[in-house]
Amino acid sequence: MHDPVVCIIDDDEAIRESLRLLLFAEDLQSIVFESADVYLREKTPPACDCMLLDIRMPGTDGLELFSILKKRHLPFPVIFITGHGDIPLAVSAIKQGAFDFLTKPFQEGELLSKVKSAISHYQLDRKRLEELRALQTRVDSCTPREQDVMKLLAKGLPNKGIAEILGISPRTVEIHRANVMEKMSADSLPALVKMVTSLES
Amino acid sequence: MSRNRKSNQTNSAFDALLDAAVDGIIIIDAQGIVRRFNRAAENMFGYPESEISGSNVSRLMPEPHRSRHGGYLEHYYSTGEASIIGSGREVAGVKKNGETFPMFLSVGEIKGGAEKRFVGIVRDMSDVQAGREQVRQLEEQLLHADRLVILGELTAGIAHEINQPLTAIAAYADAGKKMVSRGPGASGTEINTICERISEQSRRAASVVQRLRKLVRSGAVSKARHNINQIISNTLLLFEFEIKKSNIELLFFPDESLDELYVDEIHIQQIMVNLVKNSIDAISESETSSGSIEIRVSSDSGQVLITVTDNGPGIPAKYRDRLFESFFTTKPKGVGLGLSICKTIAAAHGGNLKYEQRERGGSRFALSLPLEFIG
Repeated sequence: MHDPVVCIIDDDEAIRESLRLLLFAEDLQSIVFESADVYLREKTPPACDCMLLDIRMPGTDGLELFSILKKRHLPFPVIFITGHGDIPLAVSAIKQGAFDFLTKPFQEGELLSKVKSAISHYQLDRKRLEELRALQTRVDSCTPREQDVMKLLAKGLPNKGIAEILGISPRTVEIHRANVMEKMSADSLPALVKMVTSLES
Repeated sequence: MSRNRKSNQTNSAFDALLDAAVDGIIIIDAQGIVRRFNRAAENMFGYPESEISGSNVSRLMPEPHRSRHGGYLEHYYSTGEASIIGSGREVAGVKKNGETFPMFLSVGEIKGGAEKRFVGIVRDMSDVQAGREQVRQLEEQLLHADRLVILGELTAGIAHEINQPLTAIAAYADAGKKMVSRGPGASGTEINTICERISEQSRRAASVVQRLRKLVRSGAVSKARHNINQIISNTLLLFEFEIKKSNIELLFFPDESLDELYVDEIHIQQIMVNLVKNSIDAISESETSSGSIEIRVSSDSGQVLITVTDNGPGIPAKYRDRLFESFFTTKPKGVGLGLSICKTIAAAHGGNLKYEQRERGGSRFALSLPLEFIG
C-alpha cells in the first residue's frame, strides 16, 4: 500500500502551510489547494487518503465541493475545518457523510489524531474493498450454473439437495462443486461460505 | 442755567443707561485709555471702574493683542481702516485674575466731540461656548456609538480574522515541537522557518486588534494628512469575512495619483464602514447569487470622489428623499442614524455625500471631499 497522502483545501495560506508542516512533521505527505475551484480544475483529481476541507471559501465552498465529490464517487474521508460560528454547518456535513470536523483553533493533537484515524479507516475500507473486488472477479469467472451451485452450497445444502433443486444429477453437482472450489480458491467449504457471505453483506 | 440742568440730566441719564446695560460697555479715548467702565464690565472683568479708569484698555486683552493694540489704533488713524468697527467679532478677554474668557466685541466710534472716543460693547460668551462644546461632545459620542454598533454587527468576522492566525500559530508550534522532540535530526532551517511564520502570524493578529482599537477609540479626533486609498483598503479588511460569507465580489479601484488629504482618518473609515455594510445588507436581502460591490476613488476639478456601488435591489423611490434623515430606517433592527451621521461627517470635511440611482438597479453613494481643505 502507498504512503498516505492528505489533501488540504483552504483559502488562507497560513492555515494551509501550517497544516502541511504539522503533517510533514508526522511524516504525512500532503497536497495543498487554495480553493475548491482550483482543485476542481485539475484534469484528474489527485489521489488522497484524507481531505482537510475549509467549510467557508470564496467561490465553490467546502460543502458544495463535498457534494460534488460524493457525486463523483470519490470515497476518501473528508474532515471539515470550521470556525466557531459554523458548527451547525459542520453537523449537517457529518449527517451527509463527512468523516469529522475540526474547529479552529485546533486542540493539540486533535488534528493529527483525526487525520490518522481517517486514513486508517480509509485504508481498511480500501483493503476490504480490494478483497471484495478480487472475490467478485473470482465469482464472475464461474459459469451461471456454477454460481447457482455455489449459492446453494453456501446455504449449507448437501450435493443431493442441490441436485434436486437444480434438477441435475448429484454427479454433475459434484463436478460443478469441484470447479467452484478451484475457481474461488477456497480450500474448504467453511472458507467458501465466508466468501459468499462477505460478498452478500 | 437751563442748559446746565439739561446737561446734568443728560449725564445722569447716560450713567443710568450704562449701568442698566446687561452687556459690558467700555469707553476709551484716542490713546486707548479707559474713560468709562460700566457695572456689567466690572462684573465681567473683575475690576472696579476706579481701578481700570486711566489704564490702557489693552490690559483687558491677552497677548499678542495686548502689545499690538496701540498699533491697531495708529493704523486706523492713518488709513481709516478698522476691521472691527461696525462688524463685531468673537475675541478673548482677560479678567483681573488672569483668566481668559470668550467674548463678543463690537466697537463704535464717538464722533463730533472735542476728542475722539471709542465705545466697546462686550458680551461674555463663556456659556455659549460651553454649550457648543457640549454639542460637539454629544456628536462625538454619537459617532462613537455608531462605530460600536457597526462593530457589534461585524463581530463574527472579526473573531474569524483573529482566529485564523491563532490557528496557524498553534499548528506551527505543534509542528515545531514534534520536530524538536525528534532530536538533532530536525534541521535548524526548518525550526527557523517555523519561528518566523509564528511571529508573522502573531503580527497579523495584532494588526487586526490595532485596526479595531482605532475604530472603537472614543473622544476627540483630529484631522491630519492621510492617504485616502490606504484608509479605504484598511477599512475593507474588516469586511473580508462578511464578504466571503455572503459570496460577494468586492472590487476596489484606488486612485494612485492622489495626494494625501487633510481628513479625520476614523471619520472617513466610519463613512466607508457604513456604506459598505449597507451594500452587503442590501445584497444579502436580495438573495442574488452574484452580488458585487465596487469602490472607486477618482479625482477631478479640485475634489476627490469616492463611490460605493452595489448591484443590490437599490433604494425604492419613495424612500430616496428621506435617506439622510435621522432616525429614518427601513432595516428591521436599524436605528436610522448611519447615513445621517455620514452626511454630517462629509459636511464637516467640506464635502458631501449623495445617493445616485443607477439605471440598471442597485445603489451608488458618492462621497466628495475637497482636495484642499484646511479646517
